Amino acid sequence: MLRIEGLRRHFGGIEALAGIDYSLEAEGVFGLIGPNGSGKTTLFNVITGLYPPNGGRIRFHDEDISGRSPHRISAMGIARTFQSPRVYRRMTVRENLRAAQHTLPGARGNWLTLARSPARARAEGHLDELLEATGLAERQNELASNLPLPDQRRLELARALARSPKLLLLDEPAGGMTPTETHEMAQLIREVAAPGRTCIVIEHKMDMIDALCAQVCVLNFGRKIAEDAPGEVLKDPVVLEAYIGRQKGAA
Amino acid sequence: MIDFIQNSVDGIMIGSRYALLAIGFTLIFGVMRRLNLSYGPSIMIGVFVGTFIFIEFKAGWMAVAAATLVGAVIAGIYVERLCFWAIRQGAALASMVSSFAIWMQLEEFVTLSFPDRTYPFPPLTGDVPLKIAGISIQLSYLVMFAMATTLMLALNLALYRTRFGLAVRAVSENPVAARFMGINTSRVIFFAFVVASALGGFAGFLIAANEQQVTPLFGLWATFKGLIAMMLGGMGSVPGAILGGFLLGVIERQATWYLGAEFRDLVAYGLLFVFLAFRPGGLLGQRLAERERLALRRV
Amino acid sequence: MDEHTIQVLSNIGMFSFIALSAYLLLITGEISFGQQAFFAISAYASGIATAMWGWGLGLGILWGALVAAAAAFLLAWPTLRMRGLYFAIGTLAFAEMIRLVFEVWTYQVKIDGELVGPDGSEGFRGVRYAFENDISNLEYMLLIYGLLAVVLVFFFLIERSRLGAIFRMLGEDELLAEMQGVNRVYYKVLATVMSGFIAGIGGALYIHLNTYVEPKVFNVMLGVHSLAYGLIGGLGTSLGPLIGVALDIGLLESTRLFTGFRMVVFGGLVAVLLIVRPRGLLDEDVVYWLKRRAARWLGRSKKPRPARRRPSISAPEVRDAED
Repeated sequence: MLRIEGLRRHFGGIEALAGIDYSLEAEGVFGLIGPNGSGKTTLFNVITGLYPPNGGRIRFHDEDISGRSPHRISAMGIARTFQSPRVYRRMTVRENLRAAQHTLPGARGNWLTLARSPARARAEGHLDELLEATGLAERQNELASNLPLPDQRRLELARALARSPKLLLLDEPAGGMTPTETHEMAQLIREVAAPGRTCIVIEHKMDMIDALCAQVCVLNFGRKIAEDAPGEVLKDPVVLEAYIGRQKGAA
Repeated sequence: MIDFIQNSVDGIMIGSRYALLAIGFTLIFGVMRRLNLSYGPSIMIGVFVGTFIFIEFKAGWMAVAAATLVGAVIAGIYVERLCFWAIRQGAALASMVSSFAIWMQLEEFVTLSFPDRTYPFPPLTGDVPLKIAGISIQLSYLVMFAMATTLMLALNLALYRTRFGLAVRAVSENPVAARFMGINTSRVIFFAFVVASALGGFAGFLIAANEQQVTPLFGLWATFKGLIAMMLGGMGSVPGAILGGFLLGVIERQATWYLGAEFRDLVAYGLLFVFLAFRPGGLLGQRLAERERLALRRV
Repeated sequence: MDEHTIQVLSNIGMFSFIALSAYLLLITGEISFGQQAFFAISAYASGIATAMWGWGLGLGILWGALVAAAAAFLLAWPTLRMRGLYFAIGTLAFAEMIRLVFEVWTYQVKIDGELVGPDGSEGFRGVRYAFENDISNLEYMLLIYGLLAVVLVFFFLIERSRLGAIFRMLGEDELLAEMQGVNRVYYKVLATVMSGFIAGIGGALYIHLNTYVEPKVFNVMLGVHSLAYGLIGGLGTSLGPLIGVALDIGLLESTRLFTGFRMVVFGGLVAVLLIVRPRGLLDEDVVYWLKRRAARWLGRSKKPRPARRRPSISAPEVRDAED
């Protein structure tokens, strides 16, 4: 359902994506790893329409979405989270989630959606479920900016899920979290996010990738250098060189 | 053709005023990322202090210049402390509106203290038209151009050869990183303001000396010319401000010649608008729209 | 009610429109120093309609506001890509261009042997509809406040609607909103057109009240003032801009205390106010606190709100205009 062919993207002189071929057919969680600067986040950015590709194509459910504007891509059922949690800071947790619903097809037509109506009630019910599932129910009336990091990341996840996407792109969902928090996040992804949709997870924490993903794709310098089950990929000498070789260079 | 060249030369001469005004504006914007709408008025205070000295004490142009500078700097410090330093980081709109409020305050203060429409100001040189290669240039314009250029070179030197200049550039580029490197950003901003006000004061002096008079409309006029010149050249860029100033001078002159005086400002604003729509970075701001989008979307 | 009071109240009502129009754009995250352009366009358009084409006042006002909205629509497109401060200056440049155009534009027809119509820098005189139709100052003031009430109801509805929530999302984090499906272009243009229309109502009312207008009225002072009203009165509610207008025009114009140095005092006061309340008197925190108080007083039980909460309408910070 997601098919990427020869994707290229450069910024000035830097080639962030140098021809990526990638496709996903099934549901489940897939990993995307690679050293810093290998193009993982850029790939997400191009898929979600932040930057148009400089070459190549992206197909989602057989529709060519390359270069479409972000809001139209979002409407097709692709959602993402960001490396640093990006939420509406001056709104409460609940309002943040509700905001995600405002542009869903069902919301249209009812201008005064915030008035009572059966559609509204259903939507609010959906929010309640989401809050419960992500463990945010108790803090739902707090300002988003007041939340500690792990809760902000949950909020990130929740607001991506609020639109019931078919494809979910998670960018370092466990960044900055302790091992326990990482484990909880992995559980959350497995139990709440993954069922019924396709997720791509960018992470540096290999144990999380190992635990979650059926298949892992490795990028380096904007190219795909490996794609296999986690166990295999982490033994691949090419992959190891990409990581450790890079470390040596930086030292 | 000769007209075009004459206009261009005149435009560059006049443009040096705008360039000087724009430099101060852009310095402040560079370190603070906010517009100081009181820039013109604070210079005006300086200029009126100068004219006061001139009228009361029949002082020579050097004393008047010094007085103008001091007046402008003091007014600049007043604005900086009240509108920018006192308002916490992040409330940028509040700062700008505050600077607008102080603009009105300063302007009224001047009109109250100096109720006549115009006041005399000592000239730097006499009205001596020169002819160089068939183009006529007023001596006073040339002197102004020479002094302005010297100042710009001096500033450039300061920015690139001194530690203070380095600090200013660091804060302009990335205030957070600068702070982490131990730079006292609020002190840098303060001194940038002082330098900008001094430059502005000197610009005001040159302009008033050229006109041999001052009016209370100076504040508004200076703010706008400085602003447009700064935007044309690229916000935050000193060489851009200089280029923008010259460009504005030339454009104005040509527009006045070919279209008439009423269209002069219209063309200037139109040009500004077009720049903002297609090239907000100005002449020297690097493909700004693209860069800024990238910066914004650094996700 | 004496004439002077009526005049002051009328002015307050009239300028509230342009203050509200700047405020609307502020919610969506845009700082506009150029709303006076729509004020001007509508003034001229409606004046032409009633004084030169013989239309009625109501139709004239509507026409003026529509023309202003159309101008806003045209302005929306080139300014779409301008962010933060660039947008602010862009709108300023646009407004100045409009003013300068009016300084040179003439369009006159002979009516009853006299030349009537906009005459460049002389302005547009003879917009005497109100005069000729015996509309008293009091009646006119009621007209102003009637229209203002309609606009306020409109704001009230927006603040509680999906449209308002989307505006706020754009104001908070445009990128995030886009990623969540908000069509930025559509909503920004919509906001600009709406704000143009609202400012236009004010402009049409202005010219008919004063029977004439000069282009220099629509200068940058008016523009920054419009924005400042919201910032002074408070950005937490659409009543904020009104309070700002009332403070400026009502308190200071009408009191004879500070004649001559009114701006010295007012300017200083505003600067000090903005230090302690950068979001105005009725900012989001105050509004939220008031709402909670009112709810409690009315006996309604609400879920406990542990943290300080800012309700929705808040103006954004100026986006970093990187060079």
